[in-house]
Amino acid sequence: MSPVDNSPINVKLLLIGNSSVGKSSLLLRFSDEQWLPEDESSATIGVDFRVHKMTVKGKRVKLSIWDTAGQERFRTITSSYYRGAQGIILVYDVANRESFDALPKWYSELETYVSSSVVKILVGNKVDKEFSRQVSTTEGQQFAQRMNSLFVEASAKTSVGVKEAFEDVVAKILDTPELWVPVGDKGAKAAKRNDTVPAPGSMPGNIDLNAEQSTQADGGCGC
Amino acid sequence: MPTELPYAADAEVSLSFDELDVLRLQYEKEVEAGHITVQTKFNYAWGLVKSPVREDQVEGVRLLQGTHNIRILAIRKDQKPLMAEIYRAEPARRRECLYYLALGHYKMGNYEDSKKFNGLLLEKEPTNLQAHSLQTLVDKRLARDGYIGMALAGGAAAIGTVLLAGLIRRATRK
Repeated sequence: MSPVDNSPINVKLLLIGNSSVGKSSLLLRFSDEQWLPEDESSATIGVDFRVHKMTVKGKRVKLSIWDTAGQERFRTITSSYYRGAQGIILVYDVANRESFDALPKWYSELETYVSSSVVKILVGNKVDKEFSRQVSTTEGQQFAQRMNSLFVEASAKTSVGVKEAFEDVVAKILDTPELWVPVGDKGAKAAKRNDTVPAPGSMPGNIDLNAEQSTQADGGCGC
Repeated sequence: MPTELPYAADAEVSLSFDELDVLRLQYEKEVEAGHITVQTKFNYAWGLVKSPVREDQVEGVRLLQGTHNIRILAIRKDQKPLMAEIYRAEPARRRECLYYLALGHYKMGNYEDSKKFNGLLLEKEPTNLQAHSLQTLVDKRLARDGYIGMALAGGAAAIGTVLLAGLIRRATRK
């Protein structure tokens, strides 16, 4: 932890939430400053991935951002990507009540797969659709508070709040040294061992992939 | 700051042995019970394709593609492809199968096959960023192989020239 050390801090972030809430769009806006209209964007297959470098609080950070498929049938598969994540971005669509109501299910998945010190941020996306809003800002904020998460409303389309969402979560991670300071073992993960019992809220055919959790030292990718 | 490099996350990261084992056991359990769900088969195939072990990759592609080991080169547009059981059984998974078939072939070094499957996906979804990303990776490998081929051919040509020159010299010396 010498102050002259200028190798960047590796941070792994994971985007989760129902399908079509705009996880990939948020990432595309953040990393490439682009936006694709609905008819041109396609549902993520399994997982997508980007690397993004930024400086937060004077520290150089190399972000690897894992953008998971929101569809139910990818549940088992996407659970394998939770390993080593330091920050989780939970996304819902402010104009889609169902995506907000599904959040407890996503949080219970987090409880199963990541340690409680992992930083969480709740992002209410698509605020550009103000006219058809179904979840108020206050409601989102209160829920986030209850779930011990940061909160921001955003629009990948107009780019409102997008940068903040990523910066806020990274800043909080930097404030939590146990998440990134390389001191051997990061402490045992509260891995729940159940080989055959599916994770709560999962569908038949889904199984707990992390039944046997092998903790990996580095959180980022090898590229 | 745009990201310049294309990525295919699933080509880089594999499951742990235990994770793959969970998927395999589930699959075998269902095989034994005589009823294999599409979900289970897909999950297992996905885990296999991600594996760094070549035999796993081959098995994963085989699962995705169908039980019989028919060369995919035979696929033609007019003729309904002998595609995967998964692929046939569930049209909604078509795109996913195509993507992981392309990914599996890419990992095995079958770049032309990879391109073919990815091309089928791009035909349906011309703006699919994941497919474009994979395409770039495949094209890069193909270009590299092309250079290596050219270098080899060039080397062979150079050796040939030297030999030929020697022969000619010898012939003219007589």
